[in-house]
Amino acid sequence: MSTVVERQTPGRYARLMTTLLRETLRLDVWVNRLYPTDFNPLYYTGGLSNLFLFTLVLSGIFLFFYYDASLGEAFASVQYITDRVPYGGIVRGVHRYAADGFIVAILLHLLRNWFTDRHLFARDNPWISGMFLLLFGGFIGFTGYQLVWDERALTRLFIGGLGISDGTLVRILFLHIGPATALYAFLWWHYVRLRHPKIWPPGVWVLFCVGLVFLLAGVVPMTRETIPAAAPAAHPTSFPMDVFFLIPFWLLNFLPAGVVVLLLVALFVGGLAIPYASRRETPVEMGVRHSGVAQVIDGNCTGCELCYYDCPYNAIVMVPSPGHRSLLAVVIESRCVECGICIGACPFEALELPKFLERDVLRQVAEALRPGSGQAVRA
Amino acid sequence: MRTVYTMGVALLSGLSLLFAVGIIYGEATDQWFLGGGSVGALLIAYSFIVLLLRKMGMTGPRKTER
Repeated sequence: MSTVVERQTPGRYARLMTTLLRETLRLDVWVNRLYPTDFNPLYYTGGLSNLFLFTLVLSGIFLFFYYDASLGEAFASVQYITDRVPYGGIVRGVHRYAADGFIVAILLHLLRNWFTDRHLFARDNPWISGMFLLLFGGFIGFTGYQLVWDERALTRLFIGGLGISDGTLVRILFLHIGPATALYAFLWWHYVRLRHPKIWPPGVWVLFCVGLVFLLAGVVPMTRETIPAAAPAAHPTSFPMDVFFLIPFWLLNFLPAGVVVLLLVALFVGGLAIPYASRRETPVEMGVRHSGVAQVIDGNCTGCELCYYDCPYNAIVMVPSPGHRSLLAVVIESRCVECGICIGACPFEALELPKFLERDVLRQVAEALRPGSGQAVRA
Repeated sequence: MRTVYTMGVALLSGLSLLFAVGIIYGEATDQWFLGGGSVGALLIAYSFIVLLLRKMGMTGPRKTER
């Protein structure tokens, strides 16, 4: 049975988060007036990230076939792709703008889930894996700029002089493609605790986003920037700065390198700590942690799988039943958050929260409705 | 409102035809940036057509979502 805990006055952070939650929901309502609800892009920020990642992979494979990872040929091969290969400049532009779209979609996804409390308790797993996805995404973008081997290839400043060889660009190419492959492993981690993740946006947004990167690649082509090839011994002068992937280098204009590195580490560690340091109420304070892990009453389970599909935390699996039935629901204890959704999903009373039985709920409802009760609810 | 949406679909369809011509012209004259940009513009026009058809109630949502 849950215990009533006296609520404390919310702090400044909690009030700020409540305001952000309210404004996020207000924005949802406003966007829903423009688009049908199932087209609202704010509901598909994760799916949009996936779309841009898929676009990056396809365009990256195209570029990979023409790129020459050697000191003498890297810059020339990129120029060849842009100027001589049919639609090579377009594909290069698509790769570049899809990378920006990927980071924008990830940041929107992060902020939305932060402001709407979808990073707390059982949702900490997607949040932590998402932070690693963001970190790897930023790193892959940085190594992508090194591969072009123009003035923005800042790696040469760290390992300049004799340290740079043809092998350097091969290693950087690996550091571009290897972590990009790892992103899909992180995505598996990202989804493992989610039952119905929306991993792809509606067709209207697929058309719009793919169209947008193609349009940008054609209207604002990569050739507009005449950036000279990198010279290993020379320091860069000035060049267009990418705000998503090279901003730490822009910060070097104002801050010492050590401070910039510390700032990045603090941002990442702070991001990892958000689900644990910033929650408004603990589960105990909300009185939801004393229900006990859901248990299956084997005799009542028909193997219908309704609980399996309804559990948002992937905590129920269906296994072959030892009896005459085909399947039996089994609760994975480490994943169950004792929310009780499976109990509402089961029409056969085959699930229960052992410390919060149906009769307890009925008694609480009766008490709440009793005239003169302090917990009376408004009808 | 339905008339406005219908006019919007007709206008976007006309624009789509123009962008399709842009793709062919870009391909024929080796102006690849023009061709690629036209592909993008065409896809964006299609996305707005899909949106307007949806708002008119001619497509979706799926039966289970109604």
